[in-house]
Amino acid sequence: MAFDFPFLKEALTQLFQKSSCEEYPFKPKEAFPRFRGRIVFHPEKCIKCGMCERVCAGGSISNVLVGTTEETELYERTFDLTSCTFCSYCADFCSTDAIELTPDFEHLMGTKHEELLVKGVYERKKRKPAAPKAAKPAAPKAEEKPAEAKEEEAEACAND
Amino acid sequence: MFDKLISKSAGKSPWLFHINAGSCNGCDIELVAVLTPRYDAERLGFRLAGTPRHADIVVVSGPLTAQIKDRVLRTIEQVPEPRCIVTLGSCPASGNVFKGSYSVVGPLSKYVDVDVDIAGCAAKPETILLGLHKAAQILEEKRAAMSKGGNK
Amino acid sequence: MTFDPMWLFYILVFPGVLFCFVGGTLLNGLDRKIYAKMQKRIGPPIAQPFYDFMKLMGKETIIPYEANRTVYMAAPVVGFIALVTTMLFLPIFGFHAFGGVNADMIVIIYLLTIPAVSLIVGGAASGSPYAGVGLSREMVAVISYELPLVIVLLAVGRKAGGDGVTFSLKAIADYQAANGALISHWSMIPAALAMLLVVPCEVGSHPFDVAEAETEICEGPLVEYSGAPLGVFKLNYYVKQLVCSALFSALFLGGKGTGMVALDAVIFYLECFVVTFFSTTLIRAITARLKVEQVFKFFWTVVAGLALVSLVLAWYGL
Repeated sequence: MAFDFPFLKEALTQLFQKSSCEEYPFKPKEAFPRFRGRIVFHPEKCIKCGMCERVCAGGSISNVLVGTTEETELYERTFDLTSCTFCSYCADFCSTDAIELTPDFEHLMGTKHEELLVKGVYERKKRKPAAPKAAKPAAPKAEEKPAEAKEEEAEACAND
Repeated sequence: MFDKLISKSAGKSPWLFHINAGSCNGCDIELVAVLTPRYDAERLGFRLAGTPRHADIVVVSGPLTAQIKDRVLRTIEQVPEPRCIVTLGSCPASGNVFKGSYSVVGPLSKYVDVDVDIAGCAAKPETILLGLHKAAQILEEKRAAMSKGGNK
Repeated sequence: MTFDPMWLFYILVFPGVLFCFVGGTLLNGLDRKIYAKMQKRIGPPIAQPFYDFMKLMGKETIIPYEANRTVYMAAPVVGFIALVTTMLFLPIFGFHAFGGVNADMIVIIYLLTIPAVSLIVGGAASGSPYAGVGLSREMVAVISYELPLVIVLLAVGRKAGGDGVTFSLKAIADYQAANGALISHWSMIPAALAMLLVVPCEVGSHPFDVAEAETEICEGPLVEYSGAPLGVFKLNYYVKQLVCSALFSALFLGGKGTGMVALDAVIFYLECFVVTFFSTTLIRAITARLKVEQVFKFFWTVVAGLALVSLVLAWYGL
């Protein structure tokens, strides 16, 4: 058995030194720069391109139709932070910068699941006539397009 | 008088028991980081307990695989009341990137009542500390409710 | 002996239950605080062991199906009573609660074994395989420290006894009051060192905590305990710390005292704290856990050797 105590000196000197603790819950603390924390969604910028949903590895982003008005449709985009890997891909791929990852780490904790959902409702103009109307103009087009050698597209339209 | 003191103590000395339910180890090392000198969870009374019988707060990390589900539930059952269940990281709360896998049966909230969710992949030590502090407060409330129920 | 109303005070308040409870928890709190300081942490509040104890009192108590209910519940209480009884026999400078009998040192040797035995019995009653491993380790630890402890007590008894060996703590206290603390006699220094190493093993702290190694065998004999009995076991640890350091103080750091019992008690408690610092806190902070066989080997060679040196020196009247 060896009788050397490499930490003896260290233990005795540290006894009289200031502690290296961060008294976190009692003293506020900032996250380091570019920390990827809670997501903030700016619904007014969203164009419903769906790119964020596509690149999300955890499948945490969803988009639900919550209501319609005369000319517009209301969509609610939800970011489920309990399913998020905070990779920031959604923010990187967002062409309008509607998604932002803030350095807020305090609100990544909650007693209810709802506290960890980031939601945003945005308006979007209704698409130009849906299926039934689209079918009528498509039909004459279908006759024109073969001449332009675009049969596949025309068929796709017709199927719609 | 003693009831009040006991309720107060319950929030001041929460002992943790950590279960790895198929975690990638990311959250596990962050939990250990919380106990290191820098964050020093012991100043809030936290201590890692060796057995579920001694624990107050059960910390589950990992997406709850099919193999470990029964073991996790059995371990949680062994923890004496009042107890708190904390999900650490995104995995146990939703399945995260593993959701939909044939071997993942989560989320944990399907089987037991989860008290605190800590999100993050992996969770930041400060967030964990905040979540555990919250869990300790819930523990105190639970204990107070328990003593009220017991005395009638 | 006729009944003396002071006995109740002795048993319940001053060297007895209340002093053991408050002194033990405070000593452990200070120990944890300083331990944290040595690791550059802030550490828990000094009242933390008290919070732990109160919390465990309020927790649900689960008794395993396979456990022997009576033994399981009685074991921690028996251990606590034995520790309080030990405290009653220890002289505090000139003050003796129940000491002064001819051979109280032998009583103390037996009484100090009872907490360990209660741990073993309680662990065995819980019927868990982890407890089985833990209690076999606890037995090894008991065997390890008993031999050096007995030799230390013999050496002290021989030194204080003059012509023969005395087994009376009163005689030892009187000797120290007349000739100065035993630690100032150079022939007793090896015995004091040995005793300093016996204390952490007796208490079950690092590096001799083979029995309740929480990372290997889930706290050993305590694995199935929960709620109030666990709280009493934890209290046993705190009080054991106090009693073991008090035994050291009584054996080596005695003296004339001030004549006032209250002031004596405070000085005695400070001595206990210093002993705890050197025997438990410092060693705990700078070492890692030993293996079972290493503990055994260490105690029967190094520590017993130190104690033996003192015994031989004392035997030749040095």
